[in-house]
Amino acid sequence: MAQRRPKGQIALSAGIFALGVLVLVGAADLPAGGGYAQVGPGVVPRIVGAGLVLLGAMLLREALTGGYRGVDEDAELHLPMDWTAFAWVSGGILAYGFLVERAGFLIASTLLFVAVARGFASRRWLSNALVGLAVAAFIFAVFNYALGLQLPAGVLKGILP
Amino acid sequence: MDVWAQLANGFAVALTAQNLMWALVGVTLGTAVGVLPGVGPAVTVALLLPITTKVDASGALIMFAGIYYGAMYGGSTTSILLNTPGESATIVTAMEGNQMAKRGRAGPALATSAIGSFVAGTIATVGLTFLSPLVVELGLKFGPPEYFALMIVAFTTVSSVLGDSTLRGMAGLFLGLAIGLVGIDNQTGQARFSYGVPQLLDGIEVVTIAVGLFAVGETIYFASKMNQVQEKLEEVSGSIWMKWDDWKRSWKPWLRGTVIGFPFGSIPAGGAEIPTFLSYAIERKLAKDPEEFGHGAIEGVAGPEAANNASSTGAMVPLLTLGLPTSATAAILLSAFQQYGLQPGPLLFEANPALVWGLIASFYVGNVMLLVLNLPMVGLWVKLLAIPKPQLYAGILVFATMGVYGMRQSPFDVFLLYAVGLVGFLMRRYGFPAAPVIVGMILGPLAEEQMRRALAISQGDPMIFLNHPLSASLLAVAVAVVVVPGLWRHFGPRRKAG
Repeated sequence: MAQRRPKGQIALSAGIFALGVLVLVGAADLPAGGGYAQVGPGVVPRIVGAGLVLLGAMLLREALTGGYRGVDEDAELHLPMDWTAFAWVSGGILAYGFLVERAGFLIASTLLFVAVARGFASRRWLSNALVGLAVAAFIFAVFNYALGLQLPAGVLKGILP
Repeated sequence: MDVWAQLANGFAVALTAQNLMWALVGVTLGTAVGVLPGVGPAVTVALLLPITTKVDASGALIMFAGIYYGAMYGGSTTSILLNTPGESATIVTAMEGNQMAKRGRAGPALATSAIGSFVAGTIATVGLTFLSPLVVELGLKFGPPEYFALMIVAFTTVSSVLGDSTLRGMAGLFLGLAIGLVGIDNQTGQARFSYGVPQLLDGIEVVTIAVGLFAVGETIYFASKMNQVQEKLEEVSGSIWMKWDDWKRSWKPWLRGTVIGFPFGSIPAGGAEIPTFLSYAIERKLAKDPEEFGHGAIEGVAGPEAANNASSTGAMVPLLTLGLPTSATAAILLSAFQQYGLQPGPLLFEANPALVWGLIASFYVGNVMLLVLNLPMVGLWVKLLAIPKPQLYAGILVFATMGVYGMRQSPFDVFLLYAVGLVGFLMRRYGFPAAPVIVGMILGPLAEEQMRRALAISQGDPMIFLNHPLSASLLAVAVAVVVVPGLWRHFGPRRKAG
């Protein structure tokens, strides 16, 4: 069956190959011998790296000769990638990482909730923000007041009890 | 001490008020996350791992195990009503059970799967009770070479049986093994692959990987690829109880499903898919009216559901007696043991019988609780399915990030979580199974330890693995698992074209 070259599959296979090379390079600095066992901390990394290189090469061969076996790439391509949704979900998580300690857990979680809901095409900004805040406040209360763990209050530090 | 005395002691542990409560919390949570799409038992147990610092070992493990088998019950509810299998082992239920629901028979479909799960879960627990001591006897004779070989068998079966490509399964496994290498080598203290990043010296937490691959990866995948796909939730109309005829048609498939499922689970062959498909095929063969299959035959729900449950309970045999996990959730259960400094295996049965037998006894109790939770109260769980997807996934991510950040209060882990989520998205998109990654990262360091121990015994001679007959035959099995499917495709009987 002749078809377009599956670019994604080729890139992913190459990525696995590259990861294997990276592991092999990292393993080169680790001693392979020594100790009782004659097996140092470098032996298993070499095996794992070689395995990844081999698997990457075999996957690349599959990708170049008709695509991964048992995957219906055409069906996947028929479901178009919604990059807007992707960006909303990604942005929500990354913003959480930046904000959780600066702005605090409540604000970061509420923003994450709204962003992910928007990723699933929900535009009810206000009600999503309220639900998100309620979920975050529940978690915050359980952790900080009942369990005695500290989720960061952030800019709300003086306001929260 | 004989099995009965041990089991009685186990019940004494499982039936304390505190442990009954943990079991109830576990099976309730398990049912809930089984019902909800987008979050499963692996993520839930991973997110709850931090409670191991506050709760005693038997309580926490009873709860985690409850989540593990409770999710099987909940998952079938979703498959029947929504036709989106929560996990691959419920594909068959999703086919046949959803057809029943479409014909107004959602009630009996839910009932036969809940009662079938109970029958299978209970019989399989009896199997677990009596098989475990025998495997422990055997396991006590194993040395490092045998353990290493067993782990290699688990690696190969998990990666080639789960998912439909050995190659992609092995790639997932090696990715997991690579992740498991990060951090300080526990035998020499040498830092590996931490690239000077202090957060990496302790290794990568299983929570980050499990939550990233399963929760974040799934969310990104569903938001960007599947949100256009409409799903129809079938209603539960009419009585949920089964009629006499339904009972008559269900009880044999339950028992047959159990007999098929339990052995598959208890050899480290991984995955409940094969037994469910086998059970489905057998029920169709034996049915008076095979034409009804595919259009809502109750046998096609009863058998596979029983097989699924029996096999997941059976998977506790290798986990508890040999320390071998055969699924992502089982691997995370193993890391829960490790949080307490415990290593499942034959020695645990000797050193900590109250814990192990308490856990086994809790399976009997938990299955009874699940039957009550999933039959009279099924309406409650159906309501969970009414949560709209945007808010459901948004809520899941709030919990997921909280769990990963809160673990050691480090924003670094949140960014790492996102990176793992992207990998999970790519794996999902290109058909790579995620379970081998989890099993690889948790079992990998243990396999390395056994390998180096074995080589210390033989003073570095790798022939030790082949000179011991048992480890040699196990390694042969591992090679066969990887090689035979490929050879079969090349030289075996040709499949029909198309």
